Amino acid sequence: MEEYVRPLDSSFSKRVNRVVTAVFAILAAAVFIPVLLVFVVSVSSQESVAAIGYSFFPQSLSLEAYRYLLLSGSYLARAFVNSVIITVAGTVLGLAIMSPFAYALSRREFRYRKALFVFIMFPMLFSGGLVSSYMINTQVFHLGNTYLALILPGLCSTWYILIMRNYFRESMPEEMIDAAKIDGCSHPQIFARIVMPLSKPVIMTIAVFEIFAYWNSWYPSLLYVDSNHTELYPLQYVLVNMERSIETITNDAQFVSGIQSYSPPAVTIRMAMVVVVILPVMILFPFFRKFLDTGMTVGSVKG
Amino acid sequence: MMKKGRKTYGRNRKHNGHLLMMSAPAIIWFVLFCYVPMFGAAFAFKNFTPKPGESLVRNLFVNSRWCGFENFSFLVRSSDMSNILFNTLFYNVIFLVAGIAVPVVLAILLTEIHGKRFLGVVQMVLLLPYFLSWVIVGYCLYGFLATDEGLVNHVLKLLGSAGVQWYQSPKYWRGILIATGLWKSTGYSMVIYLCAITSIDRTLYESASLDGAGFWDRVRYITLPQLLPTIITIFILQIGSLLNSDFGLFYQVPLDSDSLASVTQTLDVYVYKALMQQANFSYSSAASFLQSFIGCILLVTAHVIISKMGDQDSVGV
Repeated sequence: MEEYVRPLDSSFSKRVNRVVTAVFAILAAAVFIPVLLVFVVSVSSQESVAAIGYSFFPQSLSLEAYRYLLLSGSYLARAFVNSVIITVAGTVLGLAIMSPFAYALSRREFRYRKALFVFIMFPMLFSGGLVSSYMINTQVFHLGNTYLALILPGLCSTWYILIMRNYFRESMPEEMIDAAKIDGCSHPQIFARIVMPLSKPVIMTIAVFEIFAYWNSWYPSLLYVDSNHTELYPLQYVLVNMERSIETITNDAQFVSGIQSYSPPAVTIRMAMVVVVILPVMILFPFFRKFLDTGMTVGSVKG
Repeated sequence: MMKKGRKTYGRNRKHNGHLLMMSAPAIIWFVLFCYVPMFGAAFAFKNFTPKPGESLVRNLFVNSRWCGFENFSFLVRSSDMSNILFNTLFYNVIFLVAGIAVPVVLAILLTEIHGKRFLGVVQMVLLLPYFLSWVIVGYCLYGFLATDEGLVNHVLKLLGSAGVQWYQSPKYWRGILIATGLWKSTGYSMVIYLCAITSIDRTLYESASLDGAGFWDRVRYITLPQLLPTIITIFILQIGSLLNSDFGLFYQVPLDSDSLASVTQTLDVYVYKALMQQANFSYSSAASFLQSFIGCILLVTAHVIISKMGDQDSVGV
């Protein structure tokens, strides 16, 4: 995927190439500008926001909002830790469950291969709907207000399983697996010792998708965590409850620093919190970028 | 011969057992989180009257009576249903068309760019919004549209006009939601199509050029036909979710503002609110059953029609 073939290289003149380049430069700017605004506002001073609103060119800069977030301590730190726990646990557990299954599905001699393929495709066609998932998760599995509610429901995905299965089937030399079998290796051993170490690209791809999905997830918290359990809130959900969160944070910060009379920079805190959530994504994104292509060739997912 | 046969059989059974063991955790997950909730579709056909202290299964199957399609007829007759259905279909049709057309055009144009480094940067930037959550997207938009501090209102005031109370003015939101939806998803779809274009056999283009085909000819006769399988796959998958919508876009991005409900309420938002805020099980279960059932029928129909038209196995089911 590294080098994109440019099939139309010769068809356009230099001038057209320049125009197209300009179009994409504008487009990229348009996509990035909203994110940039959040960054700029988060480091603007409160006076500047009061005078000229959220602006790309604040009158003065200030890190007051971040100081507040730091001082507030436990509430935000707890949410950050929650997000990390959910992301790591969900990704590791998801891969641990999906990858051996994908390997089994990729083995042609596996007798239940076809049946299990239908078994995982059917939920893509029909689902019980939100009401029944919600009722069963809360009343039968008792997941309400637990970490498990934020991790388990999104653990597996038919797509990821199919992507991994295709990779195992196409990129693992059949002879090697046969040779290992003749040497007396069982499938779990082959999987753990041969297939896994050779499948880093696809494992990383799925891991990246899972990491972003869990880091960004807030819907499960909206459904399964009630307002008496703020200790379970992940960062995203802290943002959903922004007004309450700002209140809690300023109370904490005022308590810690002892400044009572002093009004909190509420308008910039909002954006500073958003930055705290985006920043890990932005930092990891360039590193993760190269793994994404493997998973994006949806067209190659065939039965 | 006999002996060898039995031995292979025994070994195969061992192998099958091992493979089944490796599948077990995933199978259990699918049963618990996909198949068990399917029985909950019964909610849609029950008059749910739970007795406190009894298990959900007893409450659903013993304590509640079957009521046929009563829930559905109530649902259809409820006053705001026509508007909700219209919204759901309206946004989905637009996203179905624009969500395919825009990225395909961009992907084709992107292959025209010669600067490789620039290409990489552009792709990365366009891809970024896909990996931000709707919550974040909502706040990015809030930076522009906030009534007091928002950038847009500030500029409007500089220009001498009064600001707009964006989160109270439904008339702007169809456009805003469509733009926001495309802003988030276009980059990702574009890279999918770009990957598909990359895998097109290059010699096709070379021989076409030799035969004197111009740019449009090549797009028309090579790129688009070769992209068709990818486009069809994505189209079928989207058709299947015609009654579903991105909950985050319609709930979190307008910050759940009640005055915008007339243009932002889709079936997903309705199901969520009926369930969580009004505890109205019959309406929300009937609505979510409809979503799932109609989606299933549409998906299968689209698949059958398209595989009859061209004989390609598009989803690989």
